Amino acid sequence: MSLVEAKANGEVRVSKISGDARFQSRITSIGITPGCTLKVIRNDRNRPVLVYSRNTMIALNRKECSSIDVEVLS
Amino acid sequence: MTATIALLGQPNSGKSTVFNALTGLRQHVGNWPGKTVEKKEGTFSHDGKEYAVADLPGSYSLTANSDEEEITRDFISSGKADVVCILADSSQLERSLFMMADYAGINVPSFLVLNMADVAEDQGKKIDAKALEAKLGIPVIQLSATDNKKYEAFFDAMNRAINNKSLINVSGLETELEKIEGYSTLKSIIPDGSIDNYSSMWLSAKAIENDKLVMESLNKYLSSDSLKKLDSIRQNTGGAVSTGNSKFAWIDELLDGVLQEKNDQVKLGKLDRMYLSPVWGKPAVILTILFGLIGSFIPALPFMGLGQAIGGLKTPVAEALFSAGVNEILITIICNVVLQSFSYILQMLGFVFGVVLVFGLLEEVGVMARISYVFDNSMAKLGLQGKSVMPFLISFGCTMGGAAGTRVIDNWGQKVLTIALAWAVPCGAAWSVIPMLASLFFGPGAVLVIVAILVTMVLHMWITAKIFGRKLVKTGERYGMIMELPPYHKPKWGALFRYVLGRTKDTFFRVSKVVLLVCFLFWALSYSFVPGSDPILFRIGKAIEPVTRVFGMGWQLFMAFIASSVGKEGALGVISALFNDGSFYTAFSDAMSGAGVAADLNEVLLSNVTKPEALAFIFAITFNMPCVVALAATYQETASAKWTARIAAYYTAGALLLSMIVYHIGLLIW
Repeated sequence: MSLVEAKANGEVRVSKISGDARFQSRITSIGITPGCTLKVIRNDRNRPVLVYSRNTMIALNRKECSSIDVEVLS
Repeated sequence: MTATIALLGQPNSGKSTVFNALTGLRQHVGNWPGKTVEKKEGTFSHDGKEYAVADLPGSYSLTANSDEEEITRDFISSGKADVVCILADSSQLERSLFMMADYAGINVPSFLVLNMADVAEDQGKKIDAKALEAKLGIPVIQLSATDNKKYEAFFDAMNRAINNKSLINVSGLETELEKIEGYSTLKSIIPDGSIDNYSSMWLSAKAIENDKLVMESLNKYLSSDSLKKLDSIRQNTGGAVSTGNSKFAWIDELLDGVLQEKNDQVKLGKLDRMYLSPVWGKPAVILTILFGLIGSFIPALPFMGLGQAIGGLKTPVAEALFSAGVNEILITIICNVVLQSFSYILQMLGFVFGVVLVFGLLEEVGVMARISYVFDNSMAKLGLQGKSVMPFLISFGCTMGGAAGTRVIDNWGQKVLTIALAWAVPCGAAWSVIPMLASLFFGPGAVLVIVAILVTMVLHMWITAKIFGRKLVKTGERYGMIMELPPYHKPKWGALFRYVLGRTKDTFFRVSKVVLLVCFLFWALSYSFVPGSDPILFRIGKAIEPVTRVFGMGWQLFMAFIASSVGKEGALGVISALFNDGSFYTAFSDAMSGAGVAADLNEVLLSNVTKPEALAFIFAITFNMPCVVALAATYQETASAKWTARIAAYYTAGALLLSMIVYHIGLLIW
């Protein structure tokens, strides 16, 4: 399942990151890597997805979130 | 200059706070040659030695994804920096050390500053900087950038790094990288010292990430056999995701025994529940900006009073000079050009000071990031960041304030585009003229005119975004938001004030040049050097009247249109002077310097101007260049004479085109 489909207030683990080289480099440099746990803070229509990871809140564009595969933890 | 220090760090690592604290008033903002990225440089002295500081553009890594990273890389690899100060945020150390991990392997001396130590402490985190220093092999210090007295440790670390030429110990990182399939073979192909100051480890990691610049250099440096081998290895490495994993694994290892933290629970505070709400987010942001705008006027008032006082000096100064027998031309230059200009400039400077202070504060405490989040989707349609909504709203009050407000936009292209679009927003001065003219000519129909103006504004911004956007924000570089929403911080007043004062001083010098030049030019063109004869501008206006008629403007209205690009308030003064024959040869400079509008303006207008002409004129002055100070502020913020001129020419032409369209539609109606 991709991150866009994740429910708010749930916890997910990143399983795979696809997308072009530039996206991969940008997303890893902000601290989102395979295996890391994300807490989904908000996932509202027409707004970036808000996740909490490695001690910080990160806003991610919805379209680009579809390149992040996750598995639901809770 | 003893040494040049480059500041390197991710956004929100407190980089600009350190830059401002170090340089204060001794900073200069420009553009990197040939690039659309803001360049911030400054100097400071310590122990009697002079140092230069370069604030490298903010980015999350060193991979060549955009101009920002390319500039940073070029600055470091070309040897311009004697030492690199890497900044990380103590409150989220693991994540923000990524920049240090990405830098490791570049053979330029560095030291590490763990910023925002106070925030980390409040969160119950304990960091052992000495232990980290032992592991990394470069000076490591903790810093709360709150006040300047604590900078002794900073200078000490800086000097140790310069004197010992300290390089990061990368053996731990190398161990992690070696776990990537093919890394070791790759590294054996790329010899040490082959390209600039980069180690073969660093180059190999960047080759795995398919970094544009490294691949270009390797293509030149390696034999075609090696290149083929490199390409085939690279395919199976997993790219930036793999190297990213290695870097974070190394960071985890470094922080083991260095960082002690409680398990933190994330909970949205009250403020964030409001700003991030899908329903209340937008109203909350708009209200915040409006309050910010009102707040900006408070520090602006003393400046504005001073500016008006200078304007008030014109008459007494003119009289004094006249009785002293000074040449009349000199008197008008002193009063109508110099005093008038400084009256404009000071009033404007007050507003710039207020806007930079209030919105700089909003950025520093973390509100600006929320504004970006809320308006990301809407502004992305124009190719802009969510933050651009703020200058647009300020521009309803004053375009120059809007331009000054764009300083929080970190991408130069988006900043220039935001200013270009903000010009289309009718400012306070336009709103003082439009309803009056509209109700005079169209009675209750004035409401329709105002609606039409707002609709035109939206269309104008949309078209302008299409026209300028292609060059300023290239579609290939339009990537969706990946941004951190930092926790709210207490503002650092000292550094903020030093920054705002530096910025205001910088604005004063640059803007004075532009305003004086433009005001002098207009004065020279509109002054009757031979008493009783027409000024040059009027003669040109009369000569090209057949052309301006196409736009729906007789020569008098056209002169008023020209005057409105210096200041919108002046347009009505010019009209009342020009249609009242007789004294018109001084009309222009009188009107520009704020002489009163004739009492019979309404009758003058109704008897001389037709309805289609009036409607065309309203549109023409609304969408014309906002005013000379807005022009100067645009030059100040974009640091580009070319783009400032381009935007000004575009708006002048656009206003005439609009005027023509409206005039001909008007002719069909009436």
